[in-house]
Amino acid sequence: MSEYEPVLLANVGVENSRSIDVYTSRGGYTAAAKALKMTAEEVVEEVQRANLRGRGGAGFPAGVKWGFLPKGRTVTYLCVNADESEPPTFSNRVLMEEDPHQLLEGTLIAAYATQTTTAYIYMRVEFHEQFHILQKALDEAYAAGWFGKNIQGSGYSLNCYIHRGAGAYVCGEETGLIESLEGKRGEPRIKPPFPAVEGLFRKPTVVNNVETLCNVPHIINRGAEWFESIGPKHSTGPKLFCISGPVKKPGCYEGAMDISVRDLIFDERFGGGLLNGKELKAVLPGGVSMGILKADEIDCKLDFDDPRKYGLLGLGTAAAVVIDTDTDMRDVLANVCRFFGTESCGQCTHCREGTSWAQKISLRLQLGAGRDEDLDTLIDIANHMGMMSGMSICGLADGAAYPIRQIVEKFRDEFEGHLRSQVPGKVSRVLEVLN
Amino acid sequence: MARIIIDEREYECRDGVPVLLAALEAGFDVPHYCYHPSLSVVASCRLCLMEMKLPHPKTGEMGWAPKMFPSCQTPVKDGMEVRFNSDAVQENQRYCMEFFLINHPLDCPVCDKAGECYLQDYSEKFGNATSRMVDQKTKGPKKDVGPKTLLYTDRCVMCTRCVRFTEEISGTHELCVINRGVMNQIDVFPGIPLDNKMQGNVVDVCPVGALLDKDFLFKQRVWLLRSADSICPGCSTGCSIDVDANEDGLWRVKPRYNPKVNDYWMCDEGRFGWKYAFSKNRITQAATRRGGDWETLEWSEVPEVVNFRLTQCVQEHGAEKIGALLSPMMSCEEAWLLATHIRKIAPESTLAMGPVPIVGEDECFPVGCSPEEARFSISKEKCPNRRGIEMILDALGGSVLSFEAFVQSVADGKINGAWIAGGYPEPWVEKDLATAAAKLDVLVLQDLMCTDLLAQADVVLPFCAWTEREGCFVNRDGLVQPFKKARSAPEGAQRDGQYLFEIAGHRGLYSGARVREMMADSVPAVAEVYVPPRVPKYQH
Repeated sequence: MSEYEPVLLANVGVENSRSIDVYTSRGGYTAAAKALKMTAEEVVEEVQRANLRGRGGAGFPAGVKWGFLPKGRTVTYLCVNADESEPPTFSNRVLMEEDPHQLLEGTLIAAYATQTTTAYIYMRVEFHEQFHILQKALDEAYAAGWFGKNIQGSGYSLNCYIHRGAGAYVCGEETGLIESLEGKRGEPRIKPPFPAVEGLFRKPTVVNNVETLCNVPHIINRGAEWFESIGPKHSTGPKLFCISGPVKKPGCYEGAMDISVRDLIFDERFGGGLLNGKELKAVLPGGVSMGILKADEIDCKLDFDDPRKYGLLGLGTAAAVVIDTDTDMRDVLANVCRFFGTESCGQCTHCREGTSWAQKISLRLQLGAGRDEDLDTLIDIANHMGMMSGMSICGLADGAAYPIRQIVEKFRDEFEGHLRSQVPGKVSRVLEVLN
Repeated sequence: MARIIIDEREYECRDGVPVLLAALEAGFDVPHYCYHPSLSVVASCRLCLMEMKLPHPKTGEMGWAPKMFPSCQTPVKDGMEVRFNSDAVQENQRYCMEFFLINHPLDCPVCDKAGECYLQDYSEKFGNATSRMVDQKTKGPKKDVGPKTLLYTDRCVMCTRCVRFTEEISGTHELCVINRGVMNQIDVFPGIPLDNKMQGNVVDVCPVGALLDKDFLFKQRVWLLRSADSICPGCSTGCSIDVDANEDGLWRVKPRYNPKVNDYWMCDEGRFGWKYAFSKNRITQAATRRGGDWETLEWSEVPEVVNFRLTQCVQEHGAEKIGALLSPMMSCEEAWLLATHIRKIAPESTLAMGPVPIVGEDECFPVGCSPEEARFSISKEKCPNRRGIEMILDALGGSVLSFEAFVQSVADGKINGAWIAGGYPEPWVEKDLATAAAKLDVLVLQDLMCTDLLAQADVVLPFCAWTEREGCFVNRDGLVQPFKKARSAPEGAQRDGQYLFEIAGHRGLYSGARVREMMADSVPAVAEVYVPPRVPKYQH
């Protein structure tokens, strides 16, 4: 683990960090000014050279995404994905709360690079306070001439609007977000066509995560080489990590992607270890949908590649939930299943029926009324819901299948122990009450 | 034409169509719910997933891709290779069917759709015999979504075909999806029921028993029904339809695929507009007036009686004093038999076509579109064969009058003997026709319902409903389309074609094809009829 100087969170803790004056006085908007003097292609190239991978979960290179936009287009939209709704994740919230202008500057540069005509910040509706903070910052930025017509005399014009969602996890999926932004049900679209070709209002569209865009001003200011120098190969640049659960210092931290889950939990610069008397049992390292690690697997590095070696779906949002030995895995499973059961949009059969079935089984297990075949059934449901890609339109089913299967598989002993000690006749009694 | 390989065999298929459609057309039974060839693709049921060969991202070598693709969303490309017979594909189908059924009430014994339900068919063919689900089912309510349609949300598979129908075909947007995940339900907006002129189609597109027709509800088990290929007589659009009958009862009318006319759709006017066939007011027997009283005629006597009356009139008043009013409700064959026979008895006789009922304006769907963009339209002409009758009148030539001129001629005493064919389900005899008819010496009336003309008639012959006849109609675009008999004529009646055939002096059984052969020389347009292609067996 290398020494690390915060970049994205540099302004956190500075008095009045939300105001444009403080932001500008600390070097804000210099990257935007620099970018506006470059050509759009140069900006794209710089970000491509930095190999900035999307921070929303999938890790797709942002510059490459921008490069997919068709030539000769007249209208382009940029959607900022601020629908942060992966369960233990709150890094975007911190960015928007503490340093809204950093996001706005990143948005402006990305918009300029993609020659966007209108940018939308799609914010989850539960971000009430954050909405007002960001809206105030946007008003300030407009007043200072960073948005609107002919920005800083560059000839480039951009309007930016904040749109608030209606409370659906699936609207964090880029095409679900686009549908919702169009005023429709938040249901992911079938691809192709991809948003870069036909997105918002059937026009070329780029969707980028908040944290991804917050990296952009720093790349422009300090150059791609600086960005490449942070962290391991293929997983470069600053990254925010969240940690929650029974740790001494839960919160949002910044670091390079060379840290391991162990560092995130136990290092003094991050979680600082478990609360007194608690013992580690498991970690959900990348939001709930990436899968689970047992206590002996926490040397998993938090970069884009290493989690796959542990059978996880990917890095995800790099937000870890720590589970201690006092926690019943049946509760964890029931909670995870309930989340996906209620958040599936319901378009695709596997996801709609599979998540709800898993929810019902896990609830019964939680109530101490499991059947011997339930564990295999859960794994079977997970396997046929989303372990093979292409089963459903978006990745929600995969995100549900990974943790369900891994919780059952990795903690099978515990589940079986509960089944063995179960009160006889409980299943039929519980089924009677529930049915 | 593209050539693609499905399950190791090469097939020729249309360019650009989805692989699913190509496979269905090649005879494969690929299970699917959400895909409908006339609606947009949503690829959400995930039942039609297939495996496809793609170049390896690194080596470029063609091989089976490690994921599955929805065949409804993948267009055919020349040289592509796909398969449905692999374990992965079949396993997906099996699990998918299990998923579909975990919250389904399994109430087939009381479900109207049983027998033509794709949950039943696919479970039988692709699914498991039992379910592993023991937990409580998520149960949706029954909803009264419109005056003619019921929605059983617990049987729904969320294919959203009905929603897309109201969005893309009827353009009325009444249906929508509410809630999320397993709580998803089809619904209408508060206070706006599903009530448009095409709403009946949502029941047809529903692959399961979720949307049901109140008119047909609990009337028949579908496996008892026999379908006859017919043409809707409701207007001059000429939609291809299936008339479902059982034991001479008529139970429902459904659209039949016709790419030149109605695609997969029909309007509610036609769908529910056949009830008049069972009206108490129908004429069901041949009769003649002897003295002042009606006397029922045996069908064997009819040709003689009718021909005697008409010939007598010709002898009394002269051949130019005879006229025949053909009806746009008649088939081409019937009209031709009648017209040529009248001309044979009286070569100088006058021919005319009865009134063409016009109601409002042509209606185009989706609502608000122009006639050019229309995906379906309802004609303002509420009769099936105006073009056909005009064609016959043109072909026969001689003295041909308009309806008004014909009535005037009768009123002026220029016509003394007439054959008047009606056949309209609605009252059609205006006062001037009834008054004029009083002056006729001989009136042979061929009509469906009892009207004021009955009082003036000397011989009355039943005009059968179209479901009891066979022949062809020419729609407003000039398309000649045959229709078949769906049920027998009511007791006592004989179908029009048969008695006209005999009156005209032919022997044996009437058939549309036989008469069309006879007509071929004088009316060549009807020599070839248009029969739309059948949809592939496993497409729905």
